[in-house]
Amino acid sequence: MSDADTPGDVEPSRDHEHHGHEGPGYATPQAALEEGEREELAYVMSLYTGTDVDEPDFVAVVDLDPDSETYSEIVDRVEMPEKGDELHHFGWNACSSSCHVEGLERRHLIVPGQRSSRIHVVDTKDRRNPELVEVIEPEDVFEYDLSAPHTVHCVPEGKIIISMLGDADGELPGGFLELNHDFEIEGRWEPPGEIEMNYDYWYQPRQNVMVSTEWAAPKTYYPGFDLEDVEDGKYGRRIHFWDWENGTVEQTIDLGEEGQIPLEVRFLHTPESTHGFVGAALSSNIFHFWYDADAGEYRAEKAIDFEAREHEDWEMPVPGLTTDILLSMDDRYLFGSNWLHGELWMYDVSDPSNPRRADSLSVGGTFGEVREVQGRELAAGPQMIQLSLDGERLYWTTSLFSTWDDQFYPEESERGSVMLKADVDPRNGTLELDEDFLVDWGECPAGPARAHEIRWPDGDCTSDVWQ
Amino acid sequence: MTETYAVVLEEPDGSSRTVEVEPDETVLEASERTDRTVPFGCRTGACGTCAGRLLEADRAEAESDDESAAEPTDDPDVAAAFAYRREPRALKPRHREDGYVLLCIATPRMDCRVAVGSRARSGLVDNPWK
Repeated sequence: MSDADTPGDVEPSRDHEHHGHEGPGYATPQAALEEGEREELAYVMSLYTGTDVDEPDFVAVVDLDPDSETYSEIVDRVEMPEKGDELHHFGWNACSSSCHVEGLERRHLIVPGQRSSRIHVVDTKDRRNPELVEVIEPEDVFEYDLSAPHTVHCVPEGKIIISMLGDADGELPGGFLELNHDFEIEGRWEPPGEIEMNYDYWYQPRQNVMVSTEWAAPKTYYPGFDLEDVEDGKYGRRIHFWDWENGTVEQTIDLGEEGQIPLEVRFLHTPESTHGFVGAALSSNIFHFWYDADAGEYRAEKAIDFEAREHEDWEMPVPGLTTDILLSMDDRYLFGSNWLHGELWMYDVSDPSNPRRADSLSVGGTFGEVREVQGRELAAGPQMIQLSLDGERLYWTTSLFSTWDDQFYPEESERGSVMLKADVDPRNGTLELDEDFLVDWGECPAGPARAHEIRWPDGDCTSDVWQ
Repeated sequence: MTETYAVVLEEPDGSSRTVEVEPDETVLEASERTDRTVPFGCRTGACGTCAGRLLEADRAEAESDDESAAEPTDDPDVAAAFAYRREPRALKPRHREDGYVLLCIATPRMDCRVAVGSRARSGLVDNPWK
């Protein structure tokens, strides 16, 4: 019998008065885990850019309620006003970082076009039928000598900061664009010139730190992956630690040959922590970073190494290409995807310096043991991942980036992407593929579409930061 | 009298169609006046989504007094066939030598035939490990 079932027990309070919690999100990561209800809908970036389907990209609304008649179906599509955006990553107008701000709601999705540099705002007041409400045109972004919007985080007081990977010509340097709470461009967040390459970022306000990573200049990665560009030093391998208040880079760490193309970066959710992880996609290694108080600076060390594998159809060993990682809300597990290998993995990071492999799934991609789900052949490996707030359901999509898909998984454009799910047992550290769940972008009315980042309406394991 | 150039677009499904491109227009802009737009992304020449490959160029109109160039050539000169509005940053020298053209910023200078679509574009890069 649980505490809640005790006769005469009082309904547990959810008003967080001891935290003064009146705004969006949750008072703590543990509160998100306890109070977050099971995800019933997903918003998924969906795109036709780079295919021969002459249609705009869209935000897909996917039904995740197993009791619904439309479970695992796309139940709504919010079409973008123009073609050619390449919807990729997106984020909320507000999250737990503004949980003390009365009147602010987690309601608007900021949806950038990676190629177009157009920024859309989608109102999710009606969760199943969101509506496009604002568009910032590329010319207005280029005025700040920025392009190629990527990671969106909301920051306290309703502001939004977007990492921008290039200048107005798609060359270096990139930077950060700040929007105000009316979704107008406020300006550049940082003084220009702090960094050259940019990609993902995460901030940990209690430690006054932000960390950012490096992909390449848009003109370099946009057309596709050219190994010569790596040899010419045109891809990144450094991470930058910023003074969050001042917007200045305080320390840069070169991850070296084993840290090439550091993409997704996560601080632990607990606001006290200075620990985090970054996935070096090309080297297929995970680096752990932390603040070394004795040295007065951040340090980074390789913590997980995914070996390249031989394949009879490939001339060279196939790298895993570790393209996405995330931390469970309780910071106990690090999940990730090796897109080229076709592998999802789960590591116990309760001791962040010593990750311990818990489980993995071999599905899709070059080596995946599972080649189809419900008779649907899998064209690509697991790529963008998202975890339920309670840490019990892991979902993923299969598209990386239109031009890169065409190089490594050319069938993805003809068949479309899929969204799949695994059940996670956090107590025992196991993953199990749920073969009853399949969302197929190959069946979209206008033709097969790709699918990329996933978010839940009430926040997820890559959306929320705590002050 | 303004002179337009006829650009034959060879689609990935094997079909072809002709768009008439005004002298101050890009191939992408001309295609937007039809019921099917050529693929595109950034519109600034940085991303390569719009890349097509020049198959044939008719120099007859462009250089009508040059008898030797009056016939379509097997090895068309993409630099002569198109003028760029801005620098085609997505293309490397090897791409330009191979006849690739960024249709979002390119204005034709003669009638020509261009392969368009994702299959034409995907020739820009291959899988480096396979």
